[in-house]
Amino acid sequence: MSLAAEAFVSQIAAAEPWPENATLYQPLKEDQILLSDSASSLAVQTFLRMCGLPVQVSCRANAEYMSPSGKVPFIHVGNQVVSELGPIVQFTKAKGHSLSDGLDDVQRAEMKAYMELVNNMLLTAELYIQWCDDFTATEISRPRYSSPYSWPLNHILAYQKQWEIRRKMTAIGWSGKNLEQVYEDVSQCCQALSQRLGTQPYFFNKQPTELDALVFGHLFTILTTQLTSDELAEKVKSYTNLLSFCHRIEQTYFKEHDREGQSVSSRHSKSSLP
Amino acid sequence: MGTVHARSLEPLPMQGPELGVQADDMDLGEPEHEEKQEVLENKDVVVQHVHIDGLGRTKEDLLTYEIADVFRAKNLIDVMKKSHEARQRLLRLGIFRHVEVVIDTAEGTDALPNGLDVTFEVKELRRMTGSYNTMVGNNEGSMVLGLKLPNVFGRAEKLTFQFSYGTKETSYGLSFFKPQPGHFERNFSVNLYKVTGQFPWSSLRETDRGVSTEFSFPIWRTNHTLKWEGVWRELGCLARTASFTVREESGHSLKSSLSHAMVIDTRNSTILPRRGALLKINQELAGYTGGDVSFLKEDFEIQLNKTLFWDSVLSTSLWGGMLLPLGDKPSCIADRFYLGGPTSVRGFSMYSIGPQSEGDYLGGEAYWAGGLHLYTPLPFRPGRGGFGDLFRTHFFLNAGNLCNLNYGEGPRAHLSKLAECIRWSYGAGIVLRLGNIARLELNYCIPMGVQSGDRICDGVQFGAGIRFL
Repeated sequence: MSLAAEAFVSQIAAAEPWPENATLYQPLKEDQILLSDSASSLAVQTFLRMCGLPVQVSCRANAEYMSPSGKVPFIHVGNQVVSELGPIVQFTKAKGHSLSDGLDDVQRAEMKAYMELVNNMLLTAELYIQWCDDFTATEISRPRYSSPYSWPLNHILAYQKQWEIRRKMTAIGWSGKNLEQVYEDVSQCCQALSQRLGTQPYFFNKQPTELDALVFGHLFTILTTQLTSDELAEKVKSYTNLLSFCHRIEQTYFKEHDREGQSVSSRHSKSSLP
Repeated sequence: MGTVHARSLEPLPMQGPELGVQADDMDLGEPEHEEKQEVLENKDVVVQHVHIDGLGRTKEDLLTYEIADVFRAKNLIDVMKKSHEARQRLLRLGIFRHVEVVIDTAEGTDALPNGLDVTFEVKELRRMTGSYNTMVGNNEGSMVLGLKLPNVFGRAEKLTFQFSYGTKETSYGLSFFKPQPGHFERNFSVNLYKVTGQFPWSSLRETDRGVSTEFSFPIWRTNHTLKWEGVWRELGCLARTASFTVREESGHSLKSSLSHAMVIDTRNSTILPRRGALLKINQELAGYTGGDVSFLKEDFEIQLNKTLFWDSVLSTSLWGGMLLPLGDKPSCIADRFYLGGPTSVRGFSMYSIGPQSEGDYLGGEAYWAGGLHLYTPLPFRPGRGGFGDLFRTHFFLNAGNLCNLNYGEGPRAHLSKLAECIRWSYGAGIVLRLGNIARLELNYCIPMGVQSGDRICDGVQFGAGIRFL
């Protein structure tokens, strides 16, 4: 479809109210999903809960290929399919639900800058640790990523994904880094977030915004996921206000809405924060 | 005793093992008559030597099987007939450009008075032939490179390679074929391929990378093929507007299947036959040799032809098939059957019959389709004896149904489900025959029994293809 036609269709869709059967799709929780995808998915789920919009989570082995942009998670709302947090935020805004309406222009620019920081630093670090660190890739990432497929397709797809991520790391200049430098980068990112948060309950004082959802998604997943070493989680734990921030959001949005026993935790890990 | 000359038979156009020789076109040359022809015909002869001249890389043991029969000839007419048959057999190996036969009296120290020497003068095909084409199609241009190596190791093995590089898709195929020496109908081939296809009726794009091996052999009058195939399939949406049901099928899967096909073909031609029948039964079992998908698939094709008065032909055909998913996963869109279009039930758009979701056709697990045709020459027979013979008018009646079956119920329920909501159509048109492989049709169709969701193409419909209902 042309751009004009797409814009027209989005306008029409925006007029419809949020349906009851909106669904979010992600890879299989127990066996397949990896740290970075789990973090992105949790960020979107948190954002929708903060907006008060109901969404069901459906796990599919081919979620990554179903998504129109190739990235998970994506939501299926009415006739529309939207993937990744940025477009989902814009989509819900078109339907009249927004968390950042109360911000002025300066604050909004600041929020966007911090979201870019999280995406460029934290998300990239997660991808690096998963796919560029040989030990983690062999022990965790490749077996999990290829678990729904049979031989020899599982090896082909896992190596294809690994090469794709490594090429991307080379393109953004991260291939020269080693693991220690990546952990340092994570630490610096957390320090910036910690300084911005200070003693406030949320990043922009009283009301949560999409930045809070994004930060919670990544930090909570890092803290509750078991990797080959605990160093990543330790870096985050050293900032106490970030820890209490994660606690607070978990208590507010996940404990009380936890009807069907949907737990927020991810694979083989502790189900609550340390 | 004068020398015996046998005029060598006219060389027929070179045809490989894929194309049959058309029996109607064959022309046996007449021997030059000498005055003592009667005496020669009744005279007993002995074939003493059979030579093959012009061999390069071909191994001789392969050819001894084909020419062995010539030694058994008892008189001159027999020698000529058997030499002609041997020549056909040498040509069907697909390794010679042309074959000529020369029959002469035996010479040499051990020559008998009634001895004959038969010599086959052959010219082998070149070691490698190539072709290069460019194609322009729907918003896509591509470059196609083909390479053929006939008779690679000397025993009629054939290696072909085709590579297509386009603006949107790239595909290739490599194939190795080896017949059994002495029994050309028993052969095996190994194929390696990558093909991409776009199916706008389902908003689906499919990329298949696969390897397959097959064995063919005849048993009595039937031809059987056993095949193992391993395919890595990648499905994707063709457009952002694809329905969610099709989007759910996107992704990768691996199919490893064994299949068996049986063909009995007594028709005189593949395209527009005048008499004879065809029976083709095919079954495929996937999942027991690895892979992600598991199913049992059966389908059959029957065609009967009969020449009626005034050069017209009545033809009936019946197709059917069933897909049974084994295990708990539902069937995949790439395995299901599709129905409709100018090559099956005419009057409907391409593959646009049956279950659909938001305008995308999903295919079905069971189908049947039948056709009744009457082919007649063009009215007033223009261009008779030449170009006009390639055209035929035809009147047709097509019917069919495609649906998903609930396998828990019995066969009675299945039959009643296939019998309700039958789509059918009738009409007339002109058929053009392209060589021995394909045909073009231009029809005026009137579709009937249209169900909600089907897309029709009533009025004039054009079709081109190899296999028509």
